[in-house]
Amino acid sequence: MIRVGIIGCGKVADKHASQILRVPDSEIVGVCDQEELMAAQLAERLRVRLHFGDSQNFLATCRPDVVHITTPPQSHYVLAKQCLEAGCHVYVEKPFTLNSEEAVELIGIANASGRKITVGNETQFMPVARDMRRLVQSGYLGGAPVHMESVYCYEFTDERYAKALLGDKNHWVRRLPGGLLQNIISHGIGKIVEYLPDEQVSVFATGFTSRFLESIGETGIVDELRVIIHDSQDTTAYFSFSSQIGPALHQFRVYGPKNSLIADYDHQTLIVMPQKRYKSYMNQFIPPFSDARQHFANGCRNIKRFMRREFHAESGLYFLIKAFYSCLIENRPLPISYRDILLTSRIMDSIFTQVKCGNWETRVQ
Amino acid sequence: MGTLKYNWIVDKSDLVLITGANGFVGSKVFEILLEYGFMRIRCFVRSSRNLAELRRIAEASEAEVEFYQGNLLSRDDCRRAVKSVSLIFHLAAGTSKSFAGCFMDSALATRNLLAAAQEETHLKRFLSVSSLAVHSGFQMRPGDVLDETSPIETNHMARFDPYSYGKIKQDELVVKYGKDHGLPYVIVRPGPIYGPGKRALNGRVGIDSFGIFLHIGGSNRLPLIFIDNCAEAIVLAGIIEGIDGEVFITVDDDLPTSRQFLRLYKKNVRRFFSIRVPYRTFYYLNRIWEKYSKWSEGQLPPVFNRRQCATYYQKQTYSNKKLKDRTGWVPRVPFEEASRQYFEFMRSGEERK
Repeated sequence: MIRVGIIGCGKVADKHASQILRVPDSEIVGVCDQEELMAAQLAERLRVRLHFGDSQNFLATCRPDVVHITTPPQSHYVLAKQCLEAGCHVYVEKPFTLNSEEAVELIGIANASGRKITVGNETQFMPVARDMRRLVQSGYLGGAPVHMESVYCYEFTDERYAKALLGDKNHWVRRLPGGLLQNIISHGIGKIVEYLPDEQVSVFATGFTSRFLESIGETGIVDELRVIIHDSQDTTAYFSFSSQIGPALHQFRVYGPKNSLIADYDHQTLIVMPQKRYKSYMNQFIPPFSDARQHFANGCRNIKRFMRREFHAESGLYFLIKAFYSCLIENRPLPISYRDILLTSRIMDSIFTQVKCGNWETRVQ
Repeated sequence: MGTLKYNWIVDKSDLVLITGANGFVGSKVFEILLEYGFMRIRCFVRSSRNLAELRRIAEASEAEVEFYQGNLLSRDDCRRAVKSVSLIFHLAAGTSKSFAGCFMDSALATRNLLAAAQEETHLKRFLSVSSLAVHSGFQMRPGDVLDETSPIETNHMARFDPYSYGKIKQDELVVKYGKDHGLPYVIVRPGPIYGPGKRALNGRVGIDSFGIFLHIGGSNRLPLIFIDNCAEAIVLAGIIEGIDGEVFITVDDDLPTSRQFLRLYKKNVRRFFSIRVPYRTFYYLNRIWEKYSKWSEGQLPPVFNRRQCATYYQKQTYSNKKLKDRTGWVPRVPFEEASRQYFEFMRSGEERK
């Protein structure tokens, strides 16, 4: 039985708790929040026996095997360090830390203490992402990716996030070094990093405040970002973050030397683009039907997954938690490698530096 | 103003705080306080929405009105907000869709305000606006009268209603501070509030989650309260002497049935297709949904469940007797006029679309 604890009992903790409870042989032994009332409400609703307002006390009393840190990012480093030093494995919500120095240090502490740590980039474990991974690993692209495109949009009409942020001038997201971008873009950057063959990359980034935000007097939030990533093996990637694109897309495309793939995270569809040409007009007649067949098959696959109870809204989170726990019990490889966590962190640092200074290029070594 | 035979606990020159003053109910409470002659009002707002309109009303009056923008989740903001106040109308509420969000915006914010308020020596009453939704129809029989003694929901995850959860916890904290710290409080539990400014058709009439409007309420009375009536009830519950520690259900007198309301809505606002679903049928569909939700480990969350179904759609009657007896409140706008104003507002919204 894995004994799990949660530090940070806000909205994200609910998502974690609901998925932890689905993982066989795991139990939530205690929850903690510096605002003890928040810890008490989570404990009461989920029938968790112990709740705490102090993390040291929580770690000493509950002695959890794993701690999920679901606090705002500003406290990730300190809390994760405390948990690792107390002998716990750690699952940190995204973004992993405020910068790559903190990330390097945390991974160092994890390695030194023989504990494991991961980051909550759960979109990389949604059904469509797992399907894409399987195909890429099977060699479908016909070699290393040539180019990738990751589009991650944000809706200011989605009141779950936007209302809280825009309605509060002191919201913690505003106080992050990378602001709104820092809280979100690791989802999109993480997908690129997973398929980037090399760690030596150049990053070119430009960011600005949309006219929409300017019109409501929110000139301090950067909500439009365009990034080009180029590694030393000449694999390239574009990353776009936008609050103004409609519909709010969440897509990832990988172009290989032979075949290419398009994953749509909203519709959970994976479309393959095989290198196949038909003669004459057949090249315009047949592929659209072939695409239609693929979309139909994707729809059927989604329905099948739903019927098999595998299509939860938080299925990515469930899969990542389960994979992390199996890695702890069965000593399997981590679901997100330390290399990916660190590279994502370094690329994000570079993006924020460029957006802040208005410089177009910085090299990441 | 039906208050002549009731004494007030405050003078018109006492400082009054309204939290959520720029909200749908808060702005009307503000107007009614001005109408009652209060001369010193502090409006606590989180965002600047609707603030220009409040300032315009303030300038047209002779009262001294302060506007204070802050966040009730900040203890410092709460301390500053309650400084020297005699009366607090706590109307700020969370509209988050998550349990934690509603708890934070309703209960935690209230706790911060209560903690600040208990240190204020001038304070004569803390008026907390709760909701009729805290009661549980699941533990009542069809036809029962819902009043202040009716059961409160206890199984929050089965009810799966973050808003009512936040309000239940808010009420618990208010009562706790009353007991532990002797804080004088009154809790008001209004039914669904309607009127110009409220865009949506109330969920107690039916639901349109599946693309077609399912009319479930049938011949049930809707526990509605018109905005002006509600605001006056809140003001009276805040100022009338001898009601500390009381809870008041706040609904109008002449409640329409769900069917009547829908018919009037279609006639006066817009026509749309609706299907009548009998309560029993809907109840069993909810039961099936609940079972599926459990079996699928939440693949479909239990948003439709028997507890919500019974609370919102079971036939009940609603009593506002205590409020009327103890505060002298009488609805100032009858349903005919209230619905006319509401439908006119809704129709103008439809025309703009």
